[in-house]
Amino acid sequence: MKLNWFKREGIFFLPTSIVGWLILVAGIAFAVYSFIDIDSRSHSSSDTLINFVFMLLIIGAVYSLIAYFTSRTPKG
Amino acid sequence: METQNFEEKLLKMTKPEVNQLKHQDMLADAITNAKDKSVVSWWWLSVPLFIIAMLTMKSAFMPQTTLISNIHELKSKQPVSSLLFFLIVPICIIIFNTWSIRKVWSLSDNPKDSNSIQSLWVNGLMIIFSIIVLIIYSL
Repeated sequence: MKLNWFKREGIFFLPTSIVGWLILVAGIAFAVYSFIDIDSRSHSSSDTLINFVFMLLIIGAVYSLIAYFTSRTPKG
Repeated sequence: METQNFEEKLLKMTKPEVNQLKHQDMLADAITNAKDKSVVSWWWLSVPLFIIAMLTMKSAFMPQTTLISNIHELKSKQPVSSLLFFLIVPICIIIFNTWSIRKVWSLSDNPKDSNSIQSLWVNGLMIIFSIIVLIIYSL
């Protein structure tokens, strides 16, 4: 089954369908939730930023993996 | 009669061109797929590289610790996460990127002169970074 939810532009996968946009919005919403959660538990702004960037990288890695498998390029 | 001859000629003429076009299409797909893989590799490799950067900063601000001692501490405190990001992810990245480069290499007509291999320098960079992460983790 060929899915066409994303297309690659540089180091980012951009959504090209409604499902793709939903995945992107879910990722952003989770990032915002993570920021609020980390900020409520951290002791300084650097502590917040270090932990948030780490979480952001993990979200980006999972998002890129989903986008890779659902983009239109033939896999092989 | 003339039309039939013409059709036969046309079929003979287009066959090699069709094969060449198919081959070029396969090569273009392989290069695009390899570039997609390098992007995914970069995102996954950014996690251990970020951890290494943070531990390096920690060792710089705390003179009694070193990067190696901080990595050992991470291994003991987070055994599953460290195994995933410092061992499994780099090994997978090395395998997938090597596979992509090998595929483009095999599809290139004349690999030594071809620009197609040069366009995969990011895949090579990802393999080098993965090896560096593996070496740091194994120290």
